[in-house]
Amino acid sequence: MIINNFVRINALMIKGYIFSGLFSLLMLISMSSFAQTAQDEKNFQQCKACHNIDGAKLIGPNLKGISEKRDEAWLIKFIQNSQEMIQNGDELAVQVYNENNKIPMPSQNFTDEEVRGLLLYIEGGGVLPESEAVAQAAVDTEEQQANKLNVAADAELLLVKMKRDGMRNMSYVFIIMVILIVVSLFDLAVFHIVKARWIHYIIVLTAIVVISEIIFVDATSLGRQQYYQPDQPVWFSHKVHAGQNQIDCRYCHFTVDRSMSAGIPPVETCLNCHNQVKEGPITGTKEIEKIYASIENNKPIEWVKVYNLPDHVYFNHAQHVNVGKLDCAQCHGEVKEMDEIIQIPDLSMGWCIECHRTEDVQFATNKFYDQYKELHQKLKDGEISNVTVQNIGGDECAKCHY
Amino acid sequence: MDKQYWQSLEDYRETKTKSDFSKKAEPEFSIEGLDESEIKAKSSRRDFLKMLGFSVSAVALVSSCQMPVRKAIPLLNQPEELTPGVANYFASTFFDGTDYCSILVKTRENRPIKIEGNDMSKLTKGGTSSRVQASVLNLYDDARLKGPMKSGNATDWETADKEVIEKLTVLADEGKKVVLLTSTIISPSTTALIEEFTLANPNVEWVMYDAMSMSAIRNANDLNFGRPVIPSYSFDKAKVIVGFNADYLGNWLMPVTFSKQYSSSRKISGKNPKMSRSYQFESLMSLTGSNADYRFGIKPSEEAIVLLNLYNKIAESTGMSVYNAPKSPVDVTDVATDLLKNKGKSLVVSGTNELNIQLIVNAINNALGNYGTTLNISLPVNLKQGNEKAMEALVKDMNAGKVDGILIQNVNPAYDYSNASDFKTGLAKVDTKVSFADTMDETAQLCDYVLPDHNYLESWNDAEPIRGSYSIMQPTIRPIFNTRQFQDTMLKWMGNDGDFSDYMENNWKTMLADSTNFESDWNNIKHDGVYHAKVESDELSNFSAQSLKARTSKNVDIELVPYEKIGMGIGKYSNNPWLQEMPDPITTTTWDNYLAISPAYADDNNLKLEDIVEVNGIEMPVLVQPGQPVGTASVAVGYGRTSAGKAGDGRGFNAFGFKFGESITINKIAGKTYPLAMTQMHHDMEERPIVRETTFDQFKKDPKSGNELHTYDEKHNVTLYNKIKYDGLHWGMSIDLTSCTGCANCVIACQAENNVPVIGKEQVKNRRIMHWMRIDRYYSKDEANPEVFHMPVMCQHCDNAPCENVCPVAATNHSTEGLNQMAYNRCIGTRYCMNNCPYKVRRFNWFEFVNNNNFDYNMNSELGKLVLNPDVTVRQRGVVEKCSMCVQRIQEGKLTAKMQDRELREGDIKMACEQSCPTDAITFGNLLDENSAIKEDQDNPRMYHLLESLHTLPSTSYLTRVRNNES
Repeated sequence: MIINNFVRINALMIKGYIFSGLFSLLMLISMSSFAQTAQDEKNFQQCKACHNIDGAKLIGPNLKGISEKRDEAWLIKFIQNSQEMIQNGDELAVQVYNENNKIPMPSQNFTDEEVRGLLLYIEGGGVLPESEAVAQAAVDTEEQQANKLNVAADAELLLVKMKRDGMRNMSYVFIIMVILIVVSLFDLAVFHIVKARWIHYIIVLTAIVVISEIIFVDATSLGRQQYYQPDQPVWFSHKVHAGQNQIDCRYCHFTVDRSMSAGIPPVETCLNCHNQVKEGPITGTKEIEKIYASIENNKPIEWVKVYNLPDHVYFNHAQHVNVGKLDCAQCHGEVKEMDEIIQIPDLSMGWCIECHRTEDVQFATNKFYDQYKELHQKLKDGEISNVTVQNIGGDECAKCHY
Repeated sequence: MDKQYWQSLEDYRETKTKSDFSKKAEPEFSIEGLDESEIKAKSSRRDFLKMLGFSVSAVALVSSCQMPVRKAIPLLNQPEELTPGVANYFASTFFDGTDYCSILVKTRENRPIKIEGNDMSKLTKGGTSSRVQASVLNLYDDARLKGPMKSGNATDWETADKEVIEKLTVLADEGKKVVLLTSTIISPSTTALIEEFTLANPNVEWVMYDAMSMSAIRNANDLNFGRPVIPSYSFDKAKVIVGFNADYLGNWLMPVTFSKQYSSSRKISGKNPKMSRSYQFESLMSLTGSNADYRFGIKPSEEAIVLLNLYNKIAESTGMSVYNAPKSPVDVTDVATDLLKNKGKSLVVSGTNELNIQLIVNAINNALGNYGTTLNISLPVNLKQGNEKAMEALVKDMNAGKVDGILIQNVNPAYDYSNASDFKTGLAKVDTKVSFADTMDETAQLCDYVLPDHNYLESWNDAEPIRGSYSIMQPTIRPIFNTRQFQDTMLKWMGNDGDFSDYMENNWKTMLADSTNFESDWNNIKHDGVYHAKVESDELSNFSAQSLKARTSKNVDIELVPYEKIGMGIGKYSNNPWLQEMPDPITTTTWDNYLAISPAYADDNNLKLEDIVEVNGIEMPVLVQPGQPVGTASVAVGYGRTSAGKAGDGRGFNAFGFKFGESITINKIAGKTYPLAMTQMHHDMEERPIVRETTFDQFKKDPKSGNELHTYDEKHNVTLYNKIKYDGLHWGMSIDLTSCTGCANCVIACQAENNVPVIGKEQVKNRRIMHWMRIDRYYSKDEANPEVFHMPVMCQHCDNAPCENVCPVAATNHSTEGLNQMAYNRCIGTRYCMNNCPYKVRRFNWFEFVNNNNFDYNMNSELGKLVLNPDVTVRQRGVVEKCSMCVQRIQEGKLTAKMQDRELREGDIKMACEQSCPTDAITFGNLLDENSAIKEDQDNPRMYHLLESLHTLPSTSYLTRVRNNES
């Protein structure tokens, strides 16, 4: 039942993806000539986290008039890989680096063409030319708007449902069922108000079935915390950071691909951006203040852990993210849609094993698996079509319990 | 097998009289030894109902409770090198005033949790000893001082500094004598600092003191070579080694280095195997004696006689002067012939601290031309610099009131000085007494100020154990308490506000004066932890022969031999429960010391195990030790601490008052006994061919000698079932019994790695010891001088495991990598598996050993729990546990290989027991890897499995013990 829920979430999300995919395709076809610039606006979202075109300086410098200030070839190189330039001792690059508090600009995966487009977009002051704006508006037809809203509403609904499920409280039903049993048994034995005995039997049997279901479900979830969503000391929105600002999960949880623990970012990491961004869109300065308070008082923020595993389970993020190439969302759900984190899976052993039985390992690409000669032979002979985690012993006790 | 093996004397005598086997020994789960209350504690039906009701309500209560809120608290600033969840290793040095070892410290989240050997050291070569392994627990000792103390009350550093400096200035101005009493210091930087200090304060005299002194060797070399040094020894270059009361594999000088050397000369490999031969003359059963090819029991007073006879035999054939000697109690002709055959490739050592004896030893080594080959005077060992004469003079001066101030660093003479009461009365007469002890030990208690030093894992230091071989100590954790390094205190008193790490770096700048890039060199040295300077052997002056003599042996009842136990040493780590509970490799006793007497003496005087006797006013329990020479008794020092801490106080009795070879009378106290917790009879393997051995000569003729049964079993063990097929990985381990000396380093390494609890003496007596790895000790031949056999036994990871079939809940089962897995969360504690395991390697958690005041050891202390390995589950009550083949290390090694996108390589994964083995006796690897060392061992003709007739198909194998002797 719990797994069903999870599947449903996935299904809804997939639906969302398909819709948005279809529409971006539609969009591309309908406005092929203008696509370039609309794409630029999208690309600029990545720059927006650190740069303003006009106005206050954020982490990086203000971009107004950048094309006049710097040579285009230099800009392209710098945007694509600034660190390399700094390391190679490009004077201008080093100067820019030093001027901006030595915060390196992350390399951007843009083609030369895309950078040129971006520069045009910046030159225009971050406003799409009128014709394109019209085209853009045309693309944002009612249908798409509705769809966007739908996806958002779906996600919202899901979260509400999750929370409701998380607080499933069947105690009243349980008590009513017990009372029903008692009443019907008394009637059967003492009062004889209802003459037809089968009615008693049906009531008692049904009540027993319901009670058993309640006990079974509640007992299996003992010690589990599905849909756990504690209040955090800082109202931190993953939706704003990972969703709207498109910050990669690994930017903050930077040990995820080399350690068992994904890592809660040190306050220092928050400051990378928040020494400039002092006001948020939702809570204003209230929550961001807590970062500064933490630094000032030399006291780390005591986050509440959401995903808890029992002590006798060993789980390693690096194994799953780095080696297994799993997406964070596969276990943690659509974090981009969540303000405060809610635990999506129940983290039961069944849930772990289920995935180990079905998920393929990187058998062909990772040289570690070369030593499984028999399995390779079987693959070659076509005896098996894929190698799951289970095939190399991924469902054994001592893989996680030691 | 015609050779009889036995584990205890009772055992031996039973088999000797050929009495019925079934009568013999006690079974595994005997109620004998349990206390009365436990035996009588039967539960009635009412108890059952009570418990049922209680547990139901407990479940109801628990289920209605909320899950606890767990916090995830990040660091404010995360240092680049720190990744939560990933271990860091720092090269450092272990030196405690006695033992030296170059180590790697494994830290998790910046807290040291395990010590590993440092492969880059040319001395210890990656080996450690049990004391080094256990030293990490000392860091988390509750008995450590939390800050500076003044007359038993807490004070702060400023006040203490101010007052002490004031007092020292007054003493200096008046020219009154102040003594700086330290342990041996092998650090060049600390030595420079102390010399600077004494230069600035000419009234300060520096005295070094060792509880077990070796100054006779220095004195003898002073007479023979004009240099008061201890030479460096090369046991690896010696083909014949003759030891006289020198436990060089256990305690003598540099046991880890010597074990590495010794075992390397006894590795049997290749087509033309070579093996050194060792003779041991000793007055007790030592670890070295138990491993020697030939062992002779002598009295302490006979040592000089035997040595002089040996010298005379050698001198006769080399044409040197011969001295008068009483008749030797042992015929040394064979030894002399063997030595003469290996001139320049032999080594004679003696551990007796007597000038005359050391002179004879030097003369023999000189006659054999061993100087320059197996002994090197120009590369002296800097350990054991303690000066007995100076210490004696100090005690005399103190008693005469000539000493007005004393600064005591890292020594505890009020406990371990041979005449402790004199020291104490003298100390009372000293005006200003300052101690730098890190715990309130017996000496610190008598001092006015105690300014606690850091633990070695919190300190900067360097070491030069042998001339030219340097080693760096660096902090791996910030000081836990308000302590300050001794050297920093010294600097402060000298008006230098810098700290010792800068001082040390400056000192190294002058030491590496010809370095072109000091910064990078210095970083490299700190990274490697060791630095081997190029040293030129300087010209030796000629050997100046001294006249040798030997008195006739004493004709007394019993001569006493005080010795150090492998675990406890001089008692510095008395409060370390791991070492207290480590079974002694010879007697398998835990938690106590005792008087070991010979079986013959015991028979004559009607003494038996656990009887109490009185010697020089001290009551002590008796242990009848096979191999203890007639006319001797031995007793371990390092016990009887009164101010060590919860685990160490009141364990055993203090034997530092006894002198080597002292004649004693033993008075039996009738009707009194004292229980000793021994693991000796726990795991009797009865009369099966577990121990397989051969001699080197036979081995050369037939490599399968001694192991004939293996072929027989291979042939006769047929089965209808298919053998399990493995793909890719099949883990296996092999133990070379020829190399293993039984030093128990692996036992403690395993305990530290796998969070094995300490259970206390009572429970050890109840046969519940939790060690995943035990070292079985068997004797063979006669009880007066038996041959000894050490055999590490842990889970054998059988492919056909008897334990797996009987588990009703499948909590123990087999993995596709050949591991016998144990899922604690699944175990319901039926103990069927323990019953069905033929090797008896499974352990049951009879109690909750964590957070339980009845087991008040490190797991019951917030501080002590910091040593736990976060990758290994702490087991709860009621589950079975056993060796997991360090599965956490296997998983880690596999993950590293995967992340680096490569296949596993040999040596990627090392077991905790294997990594720091000082004799490289343990090999671990993938049995399917054709080129691996483990595969080579698997195909070795010496290879056999334990109880292979049972067809359990273990993944762990043993290589037969080869002794280089006849018979």
